[in-house]
Amino acid sequence: MENNTQKTASNLSEAVDIGFLDLSKAEFYVTPGGFTGLKYGGEVYQRIVLRRALPVASAMEYISVADHENREIGMFRCVDSLNAGQREIVVAELEKRYYCPFVYQVKSVKDKLGYVYFELSIGRDGRRYDKTCTVKDVSKNIRMLGDDRLIIFDVDGNRYMVESLAELDKKSLSRLGPYLF
Amino acid sequence: MQMKKYIPEYMLSVFQEQGLDPSTLLYAVHTDMTPDGGDADVYTVVSNDSLLIVYGEEKVVKTVGARRIVAVFKTDKVEKYPLEELGELSVERLISTGRLCAEKEGCPRILLLFSIGYLADAERLIKVVKNIRDGLAPLNEIAVDDELFCPKCGTRYPEPERKLCPKCMDKISITRRLLGFFGDYKGKVAVILLTMLAGSAFAVASPLVGTKLLFDDVLTAGGAWYGAVLGAVVLIFLVRSVGVALNILYSYVLAKTVPWIVYDLKLKIFEAMQRLSVGFFTSKRTGTLMNRVNKDATNIYWFFVDGVPYVIVNVITFAGVIALMCVLSWKLAIVCIVILPAAIGMFRLLWSVFRRFHHKNWVYSSQLNSMVSDSVNGQRVIKAYAREDDESRRFSDMGGKLADVDIRTLQTEYTAFPLIYLFMFLGQVIITAIGGMMVLNREITIGTLLSFIAYLSMLYGPLEFMSWVSNWWARCVDSAQRVFEIIDAEPDIAEPAEPVILEQVKGDVEMRGVRFEYDPATPVLKGIDLSVQAGKMLGIVGKTGAGKSTVANLIARLYDVTEGSVTVDGVNVKQLSLAQLRQSIGIVSQEIYLFIGTIADNIRYAKPEASLEDVIRAAKAASAHDFIMQLPDAYETKVGAGGHELSGGEKQRLSIARTILQDPRILILDEATAAMDTETEAKIQLALTGLQSGRTTIAIAHRLSTLRDADSLAVISGGKVVESGTHKELLMKKGEYQKLYAIQLEGLKVINMDSE
Repeated sequence: MENNTQKTASNLSEAVDIGFLDLSKAEFYVTPGGFTGLKYGGEVYQRIVLRRALPVASAMEYISVADHENREIGMFRCVDSLNAGQREIVVAELEKRYYCPFVYQVKSVKDKLGYVYFELSIGRDGRRYDKTCTVKDVSKNIRMLGDDRLIIFDVDGNRYMVESLAELDKKSLSRLGPYLF
Repeated sequence: MQMKKYIPEYMLSVFQEQGLDPSTLLYAVHTDMTPDGGDADVYTVVSNDSLLIVYGEEKVVKTVGARRIVAVFKTDKVEKYPLEELGELSVERLISTGRLCAEKEGCPRILLLFSIGYLADAERLIKVVKNIRDGLAPLNEIAVDDELFCPKCGTRYPEPERKLCPKCMDKISITRRLLGFFGDYKGKVAVILLTMLAGSAFAVASPLVGTKLLFDDVLTAGGAWYGAVLGAVVLIFLVRSVGVALNILYSYVLAKTVPWIVYDLKLKIFEAMQRLSVGFFTSKRTGTLMNRVNKDATNIYWFFVDGVPYVIVNVITFAGVIALMCVLSWKLAIVCIVILPAAIGMFRLLWSVFRRFHHKNWVYSSQLNSMVSDSVNGQRVIKAYAREDDESRRFSDMGGKLADVDIRTLQTEYTAFPLIYLFMFLGQVIITAIGGMMVLNREITIGTLLSFIAYLSMLYGPLEFMSWVSNWWARCVDSAQRVFEIIDAEPDIAEPAEPVILEQVKGDVEMRGVRFEYDPATPVLKGIDLSVQAGKMLGIVGKTGAGKSTVANLIARLYDVTEGSVTVDGVNVKQLSLAQLRQSIGIVSQEIYLFIGTIADNIRYAKPEASLEDVIRAAKAASAHDFIMQLPDAYETKVGAGGHELSGGEKQRLSIARTILQDPRILILDEATAAMDTETEAKIQLALTGLQSGRTTIAIAHRLSTLRDADSLAVISGGKVVESGTHKELLMKKGEYQKLYAIQLEGLKVINMDSE
């Protein structure tokens, strides 16, 4: 039985090619206009689209690379497989596309007429600023990721990440409490 | 010149330093990122000839609504782009960001990166630039402050389409509007209020009769009614009976009134829904709203049936009791008034804790219900993949969470309530102690003290009710708000003020420079030019998602174009009478909808006055008559939800019959046979061929064989017409059409080889 399963799995991987890029032949670069491009297999793609297969759970793994017309050029398993310079370009592009500042503090929460208004202290790279975000349908738009991480989606489509609930101050945690499912 | 409110005054001096005269600034937006993805305060301002982007960091001291009170703005970088050096501006939607791009010196360039919330602002900025370039007024068709911000407090609406300001949301005005629905039932409302008032008065009076009168005047020697025990008992019974009778009367009248009010409300909602455009129903936001209409109406119903009467009764009781207490003994009344706030505080605290638990309970219960529904509907798949145990485990996990919340709720309830009641009892003990001393000092009578204790216990009910009724009221207002949103919604597609009515629709259709998007920055059509002469057939081909069905929606004016025009017989569809336009266009699409009713009713839907013979003729022309006659109830067969199940092909033929009966001048066939098997398709094609003769036909398909008779063909790709011409011409071009044709031909060859 086990052999059969292994055989089938092996057949599937033989039959379907995910199209992993040979990263040794790939060169990501930034165009003078600020777009991310790719030189691969003799082709030059002036503008590429990078997408995460698991944007929330595993943000730096299984990245799809597509051309400007959204035709997939290929995928790669992990950003860490790239050399430092290439990684920097790819991570920067992904971070721009999936912008998600961290939540440092929950200053107030108001539940009004089906909307929850969070006044948050957010930011990245040491910079902090306050922002009021409006969340609708909290049970869908506030998601626990494992036991300690939390992601909030507001009505505009912005995302905010609580990297560690354990590291939040007590007041922030108690304000978030009713929305942790 | 009108500037957006949230561009602070001090920024004008920053622009001035950059050589821009503030009076020439036409529009500005504030965004939040640098092009490399860093956080920054960015102001992009448009003047008549340039675009200026200022990056910096502002220290916001305070935000009042939309007004940012800024202590200082530190400019980091300034970029200036003369408009003449920039190509066409465009906005690209990424995942949680967006970017403003343009060509500069032949090279595409990212001008601005911003978090997704600023997408609509960036689009408006582009529109301003376009207006300037087109020589129009810069703010032509630009949503200005009033449409984006609450006019009262300046707060930006959380959802611009839902003009609802959380800060100014006035519960009282919504309740007043809701109470307006009682206007038609004034008589009944008067009876309800009067009986409630009288019932409450009797309830408040009962301790006076049952205790004070009994103890002080009947059972105490020297009392006014000393010894008249029977009379006192009869009086007590009478007071109680009248109170109960009044309660029955108001409940009875209320039960006869509120359902009609809710009926009026539901009718208004339903009528409003009929007025609204397709876009309203297809948006995710309103999808949720629609689902909630019934629930919301029910919330309102119960608040008015249960909540409002109790509010009135409790307020009257509370006020009456306090007043009587003051009359009986102001000293004891003061002691009560001191105890009351503590009780109110305790109740409020308890309800806020319960609300959190109930919210979690509601979420987990919903998830559990969805899981059960998933499991029931997906039984075939669950069994096919032998996942029964996993499903049970999933259910068990969620059930465990729900049980945990239930346990905590019950534990809180079972602990907190007895403690609160103990506290209340403590209040009673204090009153008894103080009152007892006063009785001994002959300051009050024993009857007064007993009445007082009875009144004190009468206060706790209203107190408990008042501590949580505000949440109930808020929920009712929330429901009412959603209901009013539907009632007040303006349809996107409106009948023109002076509609053009054509004497006879010939059927010339033309689209010029049509651009359209369902969501901001996700264009579906990017400048479509198409035309078809009356009586001719135009075939539209393209891959899935190319925008073919959108073309059909725009011709029928189910949506309005973002840019460009759609004309019928040379008249813009926006100027045509909607009724005439819709009567002149028949759409046979892949999505078939049959209403609850008989087959005859469904065919007749397009023309209710059609005779049965016409219905049969239409069914025959649509190759539907034969299968209809094979059904036991033939044309009287009930279809739609809960009715007879018809196959996809049968439903499609009914839909064609409906369109034949409508007799439109313009026929749109939107993938009408896409989901059919070959035999059914052949039957439907036969029906369609009959239907097409003499009409303008726009046939949308990805199966090219269905378009072989088209007078001309257009290939749509990426929201544009990439090729057009006749079948032969397009094959000669060896472009997209030829590619599609070759692929489909190859597919047929493979099938033939397999069958050999």
